[in-house]
Amino acid sequence: MDFAIDERTRERLADAREWGRAAMRPAGLEADRLSAPLPIDHPYFAKFIERGGGRTRWTGPPGANRPEREPTSVVQTLLLLEELAYWDRGVTVADPGPGLPETNVLAMGTEEQKQRFLGPFLELDRPRWACFAMTEPGAGSDAAAITTSARKDGDSWILTGAKCFIGGASRADWILVQAVVGGEKGRGAQRAFFVEQGTPGLGGFKIEKKMGLKAYESTSFTLSDCRVPATNLLGGEERYASSAGFKTAMRTFNAGRPIIAANAVGMGRAALDEAIAFAREHDLVARERVRDRLEAMARKLRMARLVCLRAGWLADRARPNIVEASMAKALAAGVGQEATALGMELLGATGARGDHLIEKLYRDVKAMDIVEGTGQVQRVIIARELVGLPR
Amino acid sequence: MFDLDPGDELALLAETARKLAAEELRPRLREAEAARAVADPVRTAYAEVGLAGLELPAAHDGAGLGALARVIVNEELAAADAGAALALDPYGPALYGLLEIGDSAMLADFLGGLTASGARAVWLDGPEVRLAADGAGVEADVAWLPTSRADAVLALVGDELLLVREEIHVRELPGAGLRAAGACALRLESASIAARMSSRMGALRARARARLYAASLLLGVLRDACDFSRGYAMERRAFGRPIAHHQALAFLITDMQMALDGARLLVHEAAWRVDAGLPCAGAAAAAFAQCIEASRLIGPAGVQILGGHGFMADYPMEKAMRESRALGLWLGGFDAAIEDAGHELCDTPGLALELA
Repeated sequence: MDFAIDERTRERLADAREWGRAAMRPAGLEADRLSAPLPIDHPYFAKFIERGGGRTRWTGPPGANRPEREPTSVVQTLLLLEELAYWDRGVTVADPGPGLPETNVLAMGTEEQKQRFLGPFLELDRPRWACFAMTEPGAGSDAAAITTSARKDGDSWILTGAKCFIGGASRADWILVQAVVGGEKGRGAQRAFFVEQGTPGLGGFKIEKKMGLKAYESTSFTLSDCRVPATNLLGGEERYASSAGFKTAMRTFNAGRPIIAANAVGMGRAALDEAIAFAREHDLVARERVRDRLEAMARKLRMARLVCLRAGWLADRARPNIVEASMAKALAAGVGQEATALGMELLGATGARGDHLIEKLYRDVKAMDIVEGTGQVQRVIIARELVGLPR
Repeated sequence: MFDLDPGDELALLAETARKLAAEELRPRLREAEAARAVADPVRTAYAEVGLAGLELPAAHDGAGLGALARVIVNEELAAADAGAALALDPYGPALYGLLEIGDSAMLADFLGGLTASGARAVWLDGPEVRLAADGAGVEADVAWLPTSRADAVLALVGDELLLVREEIHVRELPGAGLRAAGACALRLESASIAARMSSRMGALRARARARLYAASLLLGVLRDACDFSRGYAMERRAFGRPIAHHQALAFLITDMQMALDGARLLVHEAAWRVDAGLPCAGAAAAAFAQCIEASRLIGPAGVQILGGHGFMADYPMEKAMRESRALGLWLGGFDAAIEDAGHELCDTPGLALELA
């Protein structure tokens, strides 16, 4: 048993910390103040690209002999994303890159699809985004309930439906859209389609107004008889002989839960540090009630971090982590909310002014208990495993 | 690098303790509670599998294992009977004072006084123990300890470790829980000090290890409460289905398991810090505090899930509720733990919980 963080990860964390302090925190505060996503031409994004961000993990077509990027374990990813979320979780989502769908494309995409859709992310000429669209107005955590449809028409697919709360959709080069085929509903009927920006029928973009996490856009859009080539079906026809379509999406969710949990820990940690600084500045640490609140925040954040890392550690060993991933998500999101709420209490009336970082964190962290399956959905998932709760 | 695999040695140790617990402790659960002692065959079995000298140095015929080994063994034993786990270990947390502050001669002296069957040492640390005004004796007035006898007292006063062998007055009590270990109030009135040594760092580490000792016993009790009540909930039917399939109970069971898992990770991390020689006082205090917080949920919820049966002594849930509450009151309990953890948090400059 070993709880140490290795030297290389420490270096990467130190780098993340410097970047977070210098660039992410100011950008996040700016977006929050202006109550708008960071614009595409914001200098933050150019700096992000300059320092090597936003590239794909794909190493190019066979024989390209491109150097592999430094491998990152899930545990390392969780630690890094905890640190980045400490500085600004909204900005981590706003960061350019192939984002959420990249893992699916790497796992299931044809070589031609990797070249077409990940190729532009090899050498960036400008900040580029891609995004994954699952959520619909009538289907959130219950991903099997989506109704966006795909109809085969000759050598094309025609997509119809509405998606909502999709991160970065209006600025994405392409959107990987989850849809059902054959007029059916449910898992086996689901497929994923690349829909490129500008495709006729893709439109109605509406950037939502949010309570927090304002640095990135959460966007609703519609697909109205949106025609895409047959080659835009992720993985090609033969991949979909069974229920692999739904499993693709679920794989994304499973990988995502511990990450959201780590984000929540990072945000809670930021609130803790701000609260301690406030208490020191105002000579409050001698008060037991203040110290007890700070201690509770620290203790639970420490626990939540370990629960996250356990889920990542299992994933790194390709061991089942359904329960542990959901526990991490349910527990850390709760702890993040509790930590920021206690931080607000500690600020007293200052917390209600609306200009303190803890107040922003209090709004931001709420989403961690919602995205990738609410805390209640996580409990349903855990209970299915623990007590065989019927579906 | 982060690795939760216990490794072969600790896995084997856990298996050994689990087997002993299942074969010797669990079947005699109520018998030990009524007798306020564990039976001699159980002591023999405990000694035979080699658990008696778990943390003793090799020079003292022990296995020389560390804090991780202890917390793993304690959880396994306490999952069957936490009171028996206490009764079987003559040294308890008192050993940590000697390992972290004392020297080999003091340890030998201590061990020599605990050779009788059923002998128990007591660890005192807190406002209820102090030096007498002349500095030559020890005063103590302790409301409850989970033992019916005290063959030696190891007291931590400030950073000083004091060994008391005589003039120890105990008065037997009914005990709210952990009855297999016995229960007593303890008083020292200028009791003679047989040996004394001092170490700031040693005091912090001894206190940390003591808290992990109690925390890991709590983990065992809570694990059994989770496992037993979950098993019951999957068999017991109401309104046409297992009660575990009513979402109110399914979510309660889920929250209990989450609380247990989180607390266990804190205990293991703190124990790892002890063994790695890293700062461990705050981590151990937080781990104990979190186990106690988990016990406030899991102890009563285990009873609740069994309904009326939970309230009856035919099932072990009422025992788990009493024992988890009692364990959380030992060694200064929650308040002393969060006091220490809170001070470390607030008095340490820089950012809290910083990675790397």
